[in-house]
Amino acid sequence: MSTSAYHRFVFAFGAAFALFYAVARARGLALFTVYPAQGIVLLGTHRSRDVADPVLDFLAPEMYWYGWTASAAIGALVIGLLAALLPGRLCWFWTGCVWVVPPMAMIACVYLIIPWFRF
Amino acid sequence: MATLLLILHGLVAVALLGAITHQTLAVCAPPRTKPHFFFGRFRAIPGAGFSNAIVVLYLISALLGAIVYLYFKVDLQPNLERDHHWHALGFFDLKEDFVAIGLGVLPAYWLCWRQPANSEDHQIRAALTLLLAFIVWWGFLVGHVVNNIGGFGS
Repeated sequence: MSTSAYHRFVFAFGAAFALFYAVARARGLALFTVYPAQGIVLLGTHRSRDVADPVLDFLAPEMYWYGWTASAAIGALVIGLLAALLPGRLCWFWTGCVWVVPPMAMIACVYLIIPWFRF
Repeated sequence: MATLLLILHGLVAVALLGAITHQTLAVCAPPRTKPHFFFGRFRAIPGAGFSNAIVVLYLISALLGAIVYLYFKVDLQPNLERDHHWHALGFFDLKEDFVAIGLGVLPAYWLCWRQPANSEDHQIRAALTLLLAFIVWWGFLVGHVVNNIGGFGS
């Protein structure tokens, strides 16, 4: 396995992205919130039903997926750059993480959608 | 416009599904002898030749899906909620999550297929290809089912 900085960046990015995505998903850490019906984008996580009225959730549905993905990408970018700066002998760690962390993050996402199946 | 984008999204997804399935079988179950039947020939392809196409198709499919998702949220999701299709909505949420995780893994997948494989590389390559194949199949099937529930052009 090559241990170039680019390799470490790519493997660390893949693992960290999955981890940060699951965390952002679980904690509601969206970098921005999209209101497609109104064509509005607000910085941070916003819930229309919390600030005004529950019915607004239906009239003004909010979307977090783009914000979660952006949050995860920024976090992963930082970890990737750190990994690239760290010594090459740690490459085995990132190589292992890149195929272990994403499936675990996917399992975490399965856990997070369980409420949909309680209706 | 939404219907046009959805059809395009579906067509790209079909191409991606074919490519990733070929590659997954080629890397996980390569034929030991000269293939004579369809299944053998299906997996007897040089997997590395598919990786660039898979990355490009995945990115295009994810981009089209991200655009179509805006229409889905406004026009379709309220109807699905009204009709109590909670399971379909849950599976669709998972589709979003899996596709996003797949986007993060894509650079590592591409790099694994770029370099000549030793035994360790082969394992990582196979693992990442399997992961992406699962994501693509999940996304395709869930998207197809949700589209069927919503109805064409709805």
